[in-house]
Amino acid sequence: MKHSRNALSAIFILFLIFSSGCSDSGNEPAAEAAKQGQAREIIYASSKDINDMNPHLYSGSMPAQGMIYESLVEKTEDGIKPLLAESWDISEDGMSYTFHLRHGVTFHDGSPFNAEAVKVNIDAVQANAERHAWIKLSTKIKEVRATDEYTVQLLLDEPYYPTLLELSMTRPYVFLSPKDFINGQTKDGVAGYDGTGPYRLADQKPEQYAVFEANESYWGGAPQVKRITAKVLPSGETTLLALQKGEVNFIFTDDRGADGVDVEAMQSLVDSGRYQLLRSKPMNTKMIAANSSSTGPVHERAVRLALWHAVDRETIAGQILHGAESPADSLFSGNVEYADIPLAKRGYDLKHAAELLEDAGWKLENGGETRVKNGRQLALKLYYDAASSSQKTEAELIQSAAKTIGMKLELIGEQSSSVAARRASGDYDLLFNQTWGLAYDPQSTVSAFTAESSYAHTTGGIEGVEELYAKIGQVTGTRDEEKRKALYKEILTTVHDEAVFIPITHGSMAVLAPNDLEGVAFKQTQFELPFELMHFK
Amino acid sequence: MKRISRLLSDRLALLSLAVLAAIAAAGMLAPWLAPHPPDEVNMALRYGPWSLHYPLGNDQLGRCVLSRILYGIRPSVLLVLAAVLASVLIGAAVGMAAGYAGGRTDALLMRLCDVMLSFPGYVMTLAVIGVLGVGLQNILLAFILMKWAWFARIVRSSVRQIADADYVRFARTLGTGSLAILFRHILPVCVPELAVVASSSFGSTLLQVSGLSFLGLGIQAPQAEWGMMLSEARQSMFSRPELMLAPGLMIVLTVSAVNFLSDAMQQAVDPQAGSSKRHQPERAEAALIGREVA
Repeated sequence: MKHSRNALSAIFILFLIFSSGCSDSGNEPAAEAAKQGQAREIIYASSKDINDMNPHLYSGSMPAQGMIYESLVEKTEDGIKPLLAESWDISEDGMSYTFHLRHGVTFHDGSPFNAEAVKVNIDAVQANAERHAWIKLSTKIKEVRATDEYTVQLLLDEPYYPTLLELSMTRPYVFLSPKDFINGQTKDGVAGYDGTGPYRLADQKPEQYAVFEANESYWGGAPQVKRITAKVLPSGETTLLALQKGEVNFIFTDDRGADGVDVEAMQSLVDSGRYQLLRSKPMNTKMIAANSSSTGPVHERAVRLALWHAVDRETIAGQILHGAESPADSLFSGNVEYADIPLAKRGYDLKHAAELLEDAGWKLENGGETRVKNGRQLALKLYYDAASSSQKTEAELIQSAAKTIGMKLELIGEQSSSVAARRASGDYDLLFNQTWGLAYDPQSTVSAFTAESSYAHTTGGIEGVEELYAKIGQVTGTRDEEKRKALYKEILTTVHDEAVFIPITHGSMAVLAPNDLEGVAFKQTQFELPFELMHFK
Repeated sequence: MKRISRLLSDRLALLSLAVLAAIAAAGMLAPWLAPHPPDEVNMALRYGPWSLHYPLGNDQLGRCVLSRILYGIRPSVLLVLAAVLASVLIGAAVGMAAGYAGGRTDALLMRLCDVMLSFPGYVMTLAVIGVLGVGLQNILLAFILMKWAWFARIVRSSVRQIADADYVRFARTLGTGSLAILFRHILPVCVPELAVVASSSFGSTLLQVSGLSFLGLGIQAPQAEWGMMLSEARQSMFSRPELMLAPGLMIVLTVSAVNFLSDAMQQAVDPQAGSSKRHQPERAEAALIGREVA
C-alpha cells in the first residue's frame, strides 16, 4: 500500500536524524592503523569529477591539470622563475621572446620535450582562438618559431607586458605530448593526457575517482608521494565522514573558491589531533558582481553603492567564516601588484545606504517594504553557488540587511557552472564571484572586464565605459612602469567609484592534511598545489 | 454519516485529525503565534541554545527556529494541501466527464491520462523545474500536472460503475440534466473513495516537496520551509545536530498523522478492506478473499 510506504520513509528519516545526532564522535582508528602498514598516499576529496584533462580546454579540474602539465615559466613570490624554459631573452621592442628550453625533459609517453613540441602546442591553442579570448596573449601571438632543437621564438603583434605571466598560468599555454594530438589539433579532444609534470594520470573512473601516479623520470626528481587519488565526494557531510574514517585524508579549497567542509568542522578535525590545517596568504577577493548593463535597478550607481554599504563584512568574516578570511574594502587587496592605491572606504552603514536610495528617488510608498521608483520595485536577483558551504548564509545575511533599507533581494542557488553561464550571458542582477587570484590579479582580471565571457556585462553599463575599455586596452602594451601604474590606478578607481564589484572578503586557500604530511605549501595561484614537494614523515 | 461516526470512533484517527487540525491552524495563525519574525537575522544569537525567548533555539543566522517552523507550515503543509485539492478537482472533473460520457470522449481523455501517467513523477517534476526554474510554485505545478490523471482514472472507474445504476437511469428518464445527475447522484458516491486516495497522496506529496526543497529546488530563501530548514541544518550536521530535530520531527509527525488518518478513512469507507491488527481476523480474511476476487 502506498501510504504504509510513506510511513516507512518517515520512520527512516527519523532514524537518520537520531543516528546522525549520535555518530559525530565516530573515530575509526582501525582504518587508520591499517593504512600505516602500506606506503602512504594522498587521497583528496573533490566535489566534482576531474573531468576532461585536455589542458587546452577549460572543463577539467585545474589542480589535477597542474599536476600533469607544466608551463614554460612559473610565477613565484619573487617573480617569474624558470620551469620548462631555463632562460629567456626579450627583445628591445618587447615583441619577440626567445626561450631556451630545459634539456632532457620527456613527456609521460616517452616522447621528447623540444622546440617542435612547444610550437605545435602553442599553434594548437592559437587555432582555437575564440575559446581563449580571455587570455589576451592569445590575441597578440603572431608566430612561434622553433629555431633549433631547444630554442623557441615567440613573436608578438605588439608589446604585451604580461606575456610571461600569462605563459605561467595553469592553462592553456602548457604542453601535451604531440602524439596525443588528433589531426594535429587539441580543440576537438585528445588521444591521451601525457604532460611533463610530476604526476601522470593512471586511472580515471568518471564521477568516482581518478588516480595519479608519480612520474619516476620527472626532470625535477621523482616526487616522494607515489600515488594521489582524487575521490569525488559531492557533499560536505560525506567528505567530513570520509575524513574521520580515513577514506580520504586531504582536502583543499577548490578552483571555485568553495571549501566543501565548513570551518567549524575543519577545526574539529584539527582538534582530533590527526589533521593539520594550513592557510595561504590572501589570494583573491570574494565579491558580488553587479550587472551594470542590465536594464533593471542595478544599472543605477546609487543602488550598487547602497548594496555596498549594506554588506556587513566584519560579521561575514568573523562569524560566518570564523575569521578564516578578512573583510575586503576594495576589489584587490593592497598586496596585489598595482593595487596599492587610495580608495574610498565604504563600510557597513545602513543609514547612509538608505539615504543614498532616497536621494536617487527610490521611495518607500505608503508603508510598503520595498522601495519604488517610477512604478518599479527595487528588487534584485542574487545568484550563489549552491555547493558552497558559506555563500548561502552570507547571501541571507546581506538579504536581511538589504530588506531594512527597502531593497528586496531574491536569492537563487545554482550550480557553479550555471552561475558562470549567467555571468557570460548577462542574465543576472547580482552574483557571487571571486577575482582570479594572485597569478591573474590584476592584469588578467582587469582584461576580463572587457571580455564577453567574463565581466563585460558587469562593467558595460558604467558611465564612460569606452574610455575605461580604452585604458584597459592600453595598459598591457605600456612598457613604461610608471605609466602602467597610473593607468591601473585610473582603471581601478573607476570600477571602485562605480561600485560594480562589491567586495566581501579576501579569500585564501585552505589545506587540511594529515599531521605527518610535510612540505605542504602553496603556489602563487589558487588553482594548483605543489604536491611534488609533499612527503610523509 | 455512519462513516464519519465510524471514523471518529477510531482513537488513532481522532488523534491524527486533531494533530493535523492543530498544525493547519498554527500555520494559518503563524503571524500571531510566532514569537519573532521568521526572517529576523540576529548574528549575535547564531546557533543560540533553547531558551525562554527562543523556545527551539536559533539557526545559523540567529533566526528563531520556532517561528520558522510555524511559518514553514504554510508552504510545507497548506500549499501542498492546496495543490492536492487542485489536482483532485481537475481529476474529478475529467474523470466524471469521461466516465459519464463514455465512448470517444472517454477513450480520448483516458489515453491522455495514460500519457501523463507514463512519465515517472520525479522526471516530470525535474523537467518542469528545468523549464520554469526553481521554486515551490513550479514544483506544485508539476505535481498538479502529474497527479490529476491519477485521480481522473479513479473517479472515472467509480463513475462507470454507477453511471448505469437503476437510480441514475431513473433520474435520466425523469429528464434530469446531465450536470445535475453528475453532481447530485454520482459525485456523492465517489467522494469517499476519492478522499482516501487524496489523503494518502497528500502524505506522499508532502514528503516529495520537502525532499525537493532539501535539494534546493523548492522554495527560496529567506522563506522558511521544513525541507529547506533540514538542508540548512545539514551544513552543520556534525557540529550542531540538534538543528535537524525540529524540522525533521515536524515532517515525521505530519506525514505519520496523514497516513494514520488515511488508513482509518479507508477502513471507515470500507470496513472489509481493513488490514490492520485492530480488526477481527475473520474480517481481514474476508478482505483478502474480497481482494482476490476483485
